[in-house]
Amino acid sequence: MGDPTDRSDRFELIADCDGETLARFANEVLESDPPLSVRQDPRPQLLMQQVVEPVEHRPFNLGEVVVTPAAVELDGQRGFAMIPGKAERAALSGAIVDAAVAGDHPVTDDVLRALEQVAADREAERAQAWAESKHTTVDFETMEDEE
Amino acid sequence: MGYVAVTAGEEIIERAEELFEKQRVEGEADDVTVDQLEGQLGRLTAQAMSEGGLYAPQLAGLAVKQAQGDTVEASFLLRAYRSTLERYDETVPVEPSEMVASRRVSPAFKDVPGGQILGPTKDYTQRLLDFGLLDGEPEDPTEDWNTEDVGEPEELTNVMELLREEGLVDEPDAPDVDEPTDTTREPVTHPPARDAVLQELARGETGAVTALGYSSLRGYGQVHPTLAEVRVGHLPVKIEHPLTGDEVTVCHTEVSESEAVVPVYAKRDDPQFAFGYGLTFGRNERKAIGMTILDAAIQLDGVEEPAENPEFVLDVVDGMDSFGFIEHLKLPHYVTFQSTLDRIRAIRERRGLADEGRVDASEAGRNDDTETEEDNRPAEDAPLAEVSDDD
Repeated sequence: MGDPTDRSDRFELIADCDGETLARFANEVLESDPPLSVRQDPRPQLLMQQVVEPVEHRPFNLGEVVVTPAAVELDGQRGFAMIPGKAERAALSGAIVDAAVAGDHPVTDDVLRALEQVAADREAERAQAWAESKHTTVDFETMEDEE
Repeated sequence: MGYVAVTAGEEIIERAEELFEKQRVEGEADDVTVDQLEGQLGRLTAQAMSEGGLYAPQLAGLAVKQAQGDTVEASFLLRAYRSTLERYDETVPVEPSEMVASRRVSPAFKDVPGGQILGPTKDYTQRLLDFGLLDGEPEDPTEDWNTEDVGEPEELTNVMELLREEGLVDEPDAPDVDEPTDTTREPVTHPPARDAVLQELARGETGAVTALGYSSLRGYGQVHPTLAEVRVGHLPVKIEHPLTGDEVTVCHTEVSESEAVVPVYAKRDDPQFAFGYGLTFGRNERKAIGMTILDAAIQLDGVEEPAENPEFVLDVVDGMDSFGFIEHLKLPHYVTFQSTLDRIRAIRERRGLADEGRVDASEAGRNDDTETEEDNRPAEDAPLAEVSDDD
């Protein structure tokens, strides 16, 4: 399970968090009007997904993935977020939330609880999907010797 | 090559577009939402993403809606959108074994480690129309499943690795590529590197990839593979975090993967298998398998059979290329056709056939009974299309 106090884990959980939740926390952070500068505007960009094919172990470009990154500096703390898809508001909110937790803003405990819930939900969904797939495990039998 | 400006009425073109949009909204049915398309017609949006070479499920739903279900048009819209975006970076290359699989079957090995997991599929049931869908309320048929205590999700061993452990796979020289070819930025040169072939096939048009792969199975080639495995699952999209430098996962992309064992020795004096590989965005096993066959066929480097000729394959599988070239035939070709007519007439005149069945080009296509002077008045707008008279 991801640890939201760890910046790298937090990044993954913010990327998985819904945009409305991130926006709500970002608004709470901005209510006290802290010094904020946007270091990277949130706008959709591309990641070229590279995969190592298993025959020759050669990397190749599978295709591009739309993501929305954003970076801010909030009260002296840097924050970075990248949200899948075209999601400008969520990305900027995520970067603000990341910086707020890094700076131990009063909203931090609430954010950590919400991100822990994201981690728990993610694990539960993954386990449920795996369990459903396992329910379709089959033995194919050959019938060579049967008459 | 020359270009001729053709004027047309901008307003008329807008009306034609409005009529097209009307087709989407007319009738009593509710407007289909992008979420519905993304969720319930996932195969359609997957095909658009795969052929567009762009993973963006919600935008793919939007593209399919806007294109009224035309997948190639939707792919075109996605590629056009892609062309407006900057690239943030390349991802950290991932191994297919990192896939979180929801389905994995191995037609080659009955007792494959991890098991044969059918996953969500109707491969083994009859294809019959389900009339219950006409007015049925959506139900989850798995609601009563007891899905507890099945253990932690497993990483499923890649079948290729099992064969490699037995020495049945030709061990390739370490590839001397750090940065694979990116065919979206540099044109493919021939003979193409394998990474360029895989990228082009991965975003090839599903029907074209399937048809060319099928051609090899039908005897127009030597590749008739056994599939080592077919998998559907999610691959992590990883970057280096700009502040920590750690590898972090941004999201997962749904992919279909296929590996094939080809009964052709990679080396004449060493009986080991050759292989083909296919991987594409979204749930599209048919395309992944077609890609696998084409990958294996292209490695034979033949020129006699279509599927073995990389230049032929890569020239025809791209949906955008074929879309553009086929569809452009609908645009005005008056100059081209006029010059063809002139040539034919000149030949006929030389042969003394000038007066037999002559067609006046200025009359061609006109219907004097219905057209009015107003209909034929040139538009006042600026030229809207430039048409090459040299295809």
